[in-house]
Amino acid sequence: MTIGVIADSKTRTQTKSMPVKEKSKRISGQQLAGYIFISPWLLGFLLLTLWPIAQSFYLSFTEYSLLEDPVWTGTDNYVNIFTDDATFTKSLSVTFMFVLFSVPLKLFFSLMVAIALNKNIKGMNLYRTAIYFPSLIGGSIAVAALWRNMFGLDGYVNQVLAWFGIEGVGWISNPDTSLGTLILLNTWQFGSTMVIFLAGLKQVPQELYESASVDGAGKVRKFISITLPMLSPVMFFNLVLGIIGSFQTFTSAFIITKGGPINSTYMYAMFLYEKAFKHYQMGYASALAWILLSIVALLTLINFAASRYWVFYESDGGKTK
Amino acid sequence: MNTKWSKGFGALMLSTLLVTSACSGGGGGGNSPDNATNKPASGNVGAAEGGSTTLSIMWWGTDARHEATKKALDIYTKQNPSVTFKPEFMAWDAYWQKLPTLAASKTITDVLQMDAAFIQEYVSRGQLEDLSDIDLSGIVDPGVIENLKIDGKLYGIPLSQNAQGLAFNKVELEQFGIPLPHKDWTYDEFFQWARDARAKLPEGKYPIGDTTSWDGFNYYQTSMGKPPIMSDGGKTFTLDKELFMKFYGTYEEFRKAKIVPPAEKAAAFLENDPQADPMASGVLMTRGATTGSVSALEQLMPGKVGVVNLPVGPAGGGWAQSTIFLSVSANSKNKDEAKKFVKWFIEDKEAGTALGLTRGIPINPDVYASLEATLEPKDKIGKEIYDLSLDKALPFYSPAAGFSEWVDTYRKEMEAVTFAQQSIEDAFNKIDKMGKELAEKAAG
Amino acid sequence: MNTLRSNLTSHFSLSAFSFIMLYPVIWWVGASLKKAEELSLPTIWPKTPMWENYSNGWHFSADYTFAHFFGNTLLMELGNVLGGVATAAIVAYGFGRLNFKLRGFWFSILLLTMMLPGQVTVVPQYILFNKLGFVDSYVPLVLPHFFGGGAFFIFLLVQFIRSIPRDLDEAATIDGASVYGIFWRVVLPLLKPALVTVGIFTFIWSWDDFFAQVLYLSSVDKFTVGLALRMFIDQFDIQWGQLLAMSLLSILPSVLIFFLAQKHFVEGIATTGLKG
Repeated sequence: MTIGVIADSKTRTQTKSMPVKEKSKRISGQQLAGYIFISPWLLGFLLLTLWPIAQSFYLSFTEYSLLEDPVWTGTDNYVNIFTDDATFTKSLSVTFMFVLFSVPLKLFFSLMVAIALNKNIKGMNLYRTAIYFPSLIGGSIAVAALWRNMFGLDGYVNQVLAWFGIEGVGWISNPDTSLGTLILLNTWQFGSTMVIFLAGLKQVPQELYESASVDGAGKVRKFISITLPMLSPVMFFNLVLGIIGSFQTFTSAFIITKGGPINSTYMYAMFLYEKAFKHYQMGYASALAWILLSIVALLTLINFAASRYWVFYESDGGKTK
Repeated sequence: MNTKWSKGFGALMLSTLLVTSACSGGGGGGNSPDNATNKPASGNVGAAEGGSTTLSIMWWGTDARHEATKKALDIYTKQNPSVTFKPEFMAWDAYWQKLPTLAASKTITDVLQMDAAFIQEYVSRGQLEDLSDIDLSGIVDPGVIENLKIDGKLYGIPLSQNAQGLAFNKVELEQFGIPLPHKDWTYDEFFQWARDARAKLPEGKYPIGDTTSWDGFNYYQTSMGKPPIMSDGGKTFTLDKELFMKFYGTYEEFRKAKIVPPAEKAAAFLENDPQADPMASGVLMTRGATTGSVSALEQLMPGKVGVVNLPVGPAGGGWAQSTIFLSVSANSKNKDEAKKFVKWFIEDKEAGTALGLTRGIPINPDVYASLEATLEPKDKIGKEIYDLSLDKALPFYSPAAGFSEWVDTYRKEMEAVTFAQQSIEDAFNKIDKMGKELAEKAAG
Repeated sequence: MNTLRSNLTSHFSLSAFSFIMLYPVIWWVGASLKKAEELSLPTIWPKTPMWENYSNGWHFSADYTFAHFFGNTLLMELGNVLGGVATAAIVAYGFGRLNFKLRGFWFSILLLTMMLPGQVTVVPQYILFNKLGFVDSYVPLVLPHFFGGGAFFIFLLVQFIRSIPRDLDEAATIDGASVYGIFWRVVLPLLKPALVTVGIFTFIWSWDDFFAQVLYLSSVDKFTVGLALRMFIDQFDIQWGQLLAMSLLSILPSVLIFFLAQKHFVEGIATTGLKG
């Protein structure tokens, strides 16, 4: 059914099919054009990014305090991390939990809100701005004070709970609830993901809905057979980037909980940061970074492999690959 | 349309170039205009041309400190026209975030402000210049200088007096009929005072706070005549098990008796935060405070703060000495000028007047004497802590180089104890093991 | 009739939701007008509003007002947004539409650069920019945006480009357009909403990027708003009233940009007149 509706859409532009010869000529001309187009990035990568990345890889095999020159130690850092570092295990599992809950929650929530905001009613721009607001203040220093105000032992959340006769806890200062609270806060800042969904929703051609209506499709069927597949590239983007970003979550743990209490919110990125800049072990931190890269790269690879089953690209000719 | 496209692309590239060069305009080549003195800074050309030097200098602090220090630098330039400055200043967090990166790129400023908590890390890695040959006689008490030496050498010129004491909420203590703490109280008296105060305080208020950081126990251990936890530059590690069990055993009893707040509440405390400060929020009656930090507390609860020195043991208690210094970078190309300047910074009367109390109570007694009349109530409280602490004071013990992670581990293990997730003995074993391993590594 | 009722329901639920989301602003405005000792009280609004928090905060530095720092930040942002918007689409078109050797390889590298935590590349990068003599200038902050605007935005635009039907390219090819022509006349106009998104995000995210700014900008003359705000926070001493007041002001440009620019990114494909 999905493919059926989409395939119908192909008729909306009168396509003259191209001779095969012409097509292959176009592809060979693309060799140079391709490199010309990606050259801004490629140049930046070679000039600005490659060297620091290579350096960090080298440093991961050294002991490097930043205050002295690095000393080659071979694979010592990696061996220590895997055999003799309880904090590594702890921060990795905290981060996995964070990613596991926060990514799907945020995706779901932001998609729902994007759909709700994808209407033409008066004042919609005000609503959108209001709803985007929490995401704007994410990096602001006032935020930490705000969260303490809301989730403290005498904070507003507990005051509201008290109306219902529920005794609250110190949401941020209790090791059982601190991580959950951080996940919640992170979900609350769904604005960027939502905006990307919104932009994606607007790209869905209205004709598709119109022709589906002619076919007698209902709201739900239109959503499942048009909106979801047309939105799948954007959803894929949000998923992949959500995972990459969540594994590197730093700010909320750093400014709100400082990793505590008792390491319950000690995110991997914070562990890595403290190793590098607080404990003067940049070599060790670099090894941690490359381990994280391997984990995230593996997950991204799996994501890309799985994407061919559910991500629909119009440019691939109206078929999922 | 090919030409049309390429025109567009060309325009893009052109604007790219323009913006990039516009942004680099002021800063390219690192010869940025010096904003404090409005004279061109050219450190690398420096001494070669006409004997003029530009000293780069970096410090952290509040805006009052920034303005005062800039004034002092201008005075120095007036007195020594051949020396100009390239100042850089920021807040505490930013400073310690940035300094390691500067060290890694070997671009630490000629002169830099240092803190006792960090100085050992920087000294042990050769970042700071030996300043032992600067003659400070008549400016700083020779005993103070001896105390500050690391391996027999001086790496920082002390700037101000600091001391550790205990602040208390004198208004509420009086209101509930609890006697105010007195100078030189012993640990036993301190614990007993807390027990007695509990009985008189309403629910939700606590006489004293819990303790999870290493220095809280280190004060106790040293006051009982034992060596500090870290000594010898980290080569010797002493954690006295008997004292450890006794000290934290007392706090465990206190948690049960609600003499200290529950862990969940304690973990939410954040000193000097108007909502979360343990004392300003009205939850605790006492908390630790230093000469340098107590004014921030006084501003949160004006007129309510009283102070006393830390509890003492047979060997004394607390500390009273400078914890903030000016150091010279080991990579500086202007070491002689820098050394001349750091001495001047604490010696010169005019500079002293300009700097005022922005770095605390000046180390130089002459400068302090000329400022005494200008002390505000918030400054006087700080001075009071210093005066109360001085005669019983032990040395200031800072974490040895390489122990910063152990410091964090200590806190986390003890936090787990306060949340009843592990026994005191388990915590002891982990902290002791890690400390001994680090000491072994440092020794050899 | 039916639509009217559904609109009313929408208005009602959206207002309620907006109110929850806006709660922090209400708290924030109140707190920014409080005295330090009043902040510990659970009230939202102060007894007597301290408007001085705003005026003192604005003039906190003897040499500059906050207007100077806003000016600096906006200048830097101009470069960042221009760089990102101008180059991201170009790179994305290459990855999303053209076939060339090692495309998959380079695209993987692009993604990998996002997965390495920045904390471990910041020091070598600093050393690099220091050697180039760019420390204490905006170059290290602005320049990277001109190389495709960052992997995030390139990938985002690639996804948008891949959802544009190829039929359009083919039609243009038959009309004699080259790949460059297709990019300029077909793809770029369709990417407008996504490019506005790139612009907004670049603006908002670089406004916040404190760690890079503190490293690369050292003289107060060049300080951004974010750096100036950090001047209110020292080890013990935090100027809460001024900090809250000025940080509230500091998010206004982002709010304004978002409010004004959104009508462009929600402009759908149907209204861009693609078939015209």
